[in-house]
Amino acid sequence: MDTALTTLFLGTTRGAVFALVAMGLVLVWRGAGIVNFAQMGQAMFSTYIASSLIISGHGYWFAFATALIAGALLGALVDVAVMRPLTKRSHSGILASESMRATVPVIASLGILGILQSLAGMLWAAEERGFPSPVSDVAVKAFGKTAPFTNFDLFIIIVVLLTLAATTLFFTKTGMGLAMRATALNPEVARLSGIRIGRVRTLSWAISGVASSLAGLLITPSANLSPNTLDLILIVGFTAAVVGGLESLPGSVVGGFILGLLIAVVNVYDAPDDVFLALLIFLLVVLIVKPGGLFGSKRVRNV
Amino acid sequence: MKFHPSLSKPGFLTLVAGLAVGALALSSLPANAASDPGVTDTEIVLGMQLPQSGPASPGYNKVDDAMRAYFDYVNSKGGVNGRMIRLEVKDDAYKAGLTVSTASSLINKEKVFAFVGSVGTQTHISVIKDINRRGIPDIFVNSGYSGFYTDPKKYPNSFGDLGTYVVEAKILGKYLKETYGDKKIGILYQTDDFGRNAVAGFATAGLKFTPKETAATFIAGTQGSLGLVSQMSQLKAAGVEVVIIAAVSSASAVAISTAAKIGYAPKKWAIISVGADATTIQGLLYAGGVPFATSAAMLTGVISASHAPAAGDSSDEFVTAFKKINDDFNKGPSKAWDNNVLQGMNTAYLTTEALFGVGKNLTRKALVSYLETKGSSLSSAALVPLGYSKATHEAYTGFWVGAYDASTVLKPVGTDRVVYTTDSGSGPVTVSTYKRPAMPVDALPKGA
Amino acid sequence: MFKYKRTGIRNLAIALIFTVAIIALGAILDPYNQGQLAVVSMLFIGVLSVTLLTGTSGQISLGQGALMAVGGYASALTILNLGLSIWFALVMAIIVSALAGLLLGFAAARLTGPYLAGTTLVLALALPSLAIRFESVLGGDVGLNVDFGNPPAWLVSAFGEIGYEQWQLYATVPLTCLALLATANILSSRTGRMWRAIRDHESAASLMGINVSNNKIFTFVVSSGFAGLSGALYGLRGIVGPSVYPISLSLLLLTGAILGGLRSIAGALIGSALVVFLPDLIEWATRPLALSEQIGNYLPGLIGGVLLHLTVILNPGGIAHALHRHKNK
Repeated sequence: MDTALTTLFLGTTRGAVFALVAMGLVLVWRGAGIVNFAQMGQAMFSTYIASSLIISGHGYWFAFATALIAGALLGALVDVAVMRPLTKRSHSGILASESMRATVPVIASLGILGILQSLAGMLWAAEERGFPSPVSDVAVKAFGKTAPFTNFDLFIIIVVLLTLAATTLFFTKTGMGLAMRATALNPEVARLSGIRIGRVRTLSWAISGVASSLAGLLITPSANLSPNTLDLILIVGFTAAVVGGLESLPGSVVGGFILGLLIAVVNVYDAPDDVFLALLIFLLVVLIVKPGGLFGSKRVRNV
Repeated sequence: MKFHPSLSKPGFLTLVAGLAVGALALSSLPANAASDPGVTDTEIVLGMQLPQSGPASPGYNKVDDAMRAYFDYVNSKGGVNGRMIRLEVKDDAYKAGLTVSTASSLINKEKVFAFVGSVGTQTHISVIKDINRRGIPDIFVNSGYSGFYTDPKKYPNSFGDLGTYVVEAKILGKYLKETYGDKKIGILYQTDDFGRNAVAGFATAGLKFTPKETAATFIAGTQGSLGLVSQMSQLKAAGVEVVIIAAVSSASAVAISTAAKIGYAPKKWAIISVGADATTIQGLLYAGGVPFATSAAMLTGVISASHAPAAGDSSDEFVTAFKKINDDFNKGPSKAWDNNVLQGMNTAYLTTEALFGVGKNLTRKALVSYLETKGSSLSSAALVPLGYSKATHEAYTGFWVGAYDASTVLKPVGTDRVVYTTDSGSGPVTVSTYKRPAMPVDALPKGA
Repeated sequence: MFKYKRTGIRNLAIALIFTVAIIALGAILDPYNQGQLAVVSMLFIGVLSVTLLTGTSGQISLGQGALMAVGGYASALTILNLGLSIWFALVMAIIVSALAGLLLGFAAARLTGPYLAGTTLVLALALPSLAIRFESVLGGDVGLNVDFGNPPAWLVSAFGEIGYEQWQLYATVPLTCLALLATANILSSRTGRMWRAIRDHESAASLMGINVSNNKIFTFVVSSGFAGLSGALYGLRGIVGPSVYPISLSLLLLTGAILGGLRSIAGALIGSALVVFLPDLIEWATRPLALSEQIGNYLPGLIGGVLLHLTVILNPGGIAHALHRHKNK
């Protein structure tokens, strides 16, 4: 019983972080039609910035805010400096073919990942680091018993739910959010109705950057920080996004929690050695049984 | 714009020709063919490969700087028989495919006389056969994998630098069984050769673990991303009172902080020396918001083993001498004194001693035969002799068991420091009678 | 028909010239660069697998390294358990990895762009953990010790002393030649045209009567066979184990293909030479600057990433394309 509860809570907190990562991926996919494999590289970079600030004596919340801003700026920078020039060329040369338009941005994002990891290696990589949590990360004690969660676990879940709520409100209630949805649905129509598509795209990169930086800040306290540690989180987050349908924000959140629980269950009831295999099998089963993901609609291809 | 996919472009030939010219430009001049490569009247070139970048590098990337610092010290005193020591280091990022290339570069471009202190089991496996086939000495390998050393017919030129994981686990296991035999003992280990060898050693000492109950595992390297919550919860649920850790230091840090987090307080922690570097653990936790005082309290009483004096043992003459050399000569990016630095210094010290020992007439064959016949009488900071003989090239066959005190210095568990010795097989664990010779003047060994 | 035959002969001639050129280079280079050239020849086959899969049929894979691992393990097990020569082992590597490609192809044919990229990335992550799961057969993280062995006596009597690196190169080059020839012939065949049609417009290709999913699966099979051969050769340099085929190896192949030129064989060759020699070039060029280890070791990764960017933004066709365009001006 204890084991089951621990597994449940572990899966939920980890799942919350995977959900954030998946949300970040979905935002950029909807906004720009690109899966950003550099996303957790950006998160790693902004978490290192926060870590350096904290070590040099600044407060946690100042570092936290700086990291989120850095995440937004990095996201926007990636769009303006790399992805925009790329899409501008999308009708010439090698990019003229349908499949390459989906492939080349993936490669570009891998290039960004390489650059960020190399830079982080040059700047910070002599030693692995921990990263602090803002609230107590020691199991809550009540009625003389130890609960299977900590205040920080609760903090993570609350932050992720708040982020989800804020994002939902943003997309349904604000003009900018509606503009982003319209652009995601049909860029041509959106442009004709006066929406500045370029700006909207950059904004979705920036929001995605904030979400993934948040994920980095929330996951590192229970693990540690090095230029490569977040690679794995990206792969899990991607799987979560695909499970959720890659286009649906609620889907990505559900996908994140499913993956969190899956990994926890495999870890506890099977063996940690099997985690990666379980991930692969689960992804393949979802893609074969329900190629559009659990929440996705099957896209109609334009001929 | 159309792409012609077939080869029928004259450009392809130009390309091959261009490649040829480029490759020629890269090729270097042939070496002088006189004696063995890497030795002249004024210089000895040594080669080393280790992960200096990438996920496996933290901690290890200090070993080469420490070695170079000691060699620079030797050079400042006139070198070995008038020859200056130059250490050429290559980063293999812990990718075995790259190790083959860096080894070839050290052999063919840098023309090293010998490999010294190379770090990493998986990576060294990819080149050990080739290095031995070429007759190049491969000395003081920083891997505790016994497969490299126990069969000198297979790898005649390879010599170890650490006690093997099996030896350490046997000695630590004997102590734990005697002291905590009535308690439930469990283990957290990484599922690679290091973890598995340690488990095998504990089994020889009579400590057996049950998977999914008293034995928790993780894939090496995932402690940083997936964490160890389920593993520590498993040990907690199994009611394990004494937790052994056979993992790298960053995993030990995650394990200890995770246990605190889930409200799990085992009566005792015991950490295999590779994963027990207090500086690494405390540094990692500090960046995670745990003040040094708190992490020191967490580490107090933690049991570990060592073949050398504790890095924090300022009463040891080797430790103080090495520390001074480190302060004066280390030019690395992170020269903070810890076990990695001590280990690197000691490796360079042994190397210097062996080079002096072989004498003026330095050849590869002479070095190997010297280590095989006289290696066991080389002395260093270690509290046990090297186990080298014609039958085995294992390094340290002994360890002493200690516990961290409040200032994270490893202190003997009893009143006196008792060094135990054993082999990598099923031999018994006995008390060592070895007395470490005094350090020579100037910390400069002239050979046995 | 006549035209096709002429292309075939020309492909053969150029493949042979390539082989002779590499062998001649191998005779004059120093051992280190012989070894590096051997790696170029091995990775060239792997990059060709990307040229076929991504460049020709438009399917992206971030898991070619995993298929290289399949080939590596297949060959190592053939050598160690069946006691067969490396030549049988290499054939076995091609067969087993092609079968793995068939399995993967069934799943992959349904996937496009980023879905496929992500799935193959998960594959590259998951496959090495099999080696640890089935340690008794696959050797765990320590891996399986294999090598090229010694050069045959007839070769030594014909050419004199042959060094270890030189033998790696000479053993690899004939296979690289075959891979080169096979790729050239596939690309100029009807199959190659169908693959390109699928790449350029899947729906249109399907309307033209091309069986899209069968062709996609077939591409995967062929490409995986190439990757498997490349991986087996790469493993024969000393060890087949998880640390030989990390995720970064998959990305290295892709980087090579992009930098050199995703759609041409010459591009694949330039790309493989570039990724192998770039670190050496950077080290040589920055030696006067006396960079610290921490900077120097990460510099190739940084420069590689920047080059990748400049390529996709400024010159998506890669170096081969730029050279070709320059000549036509």
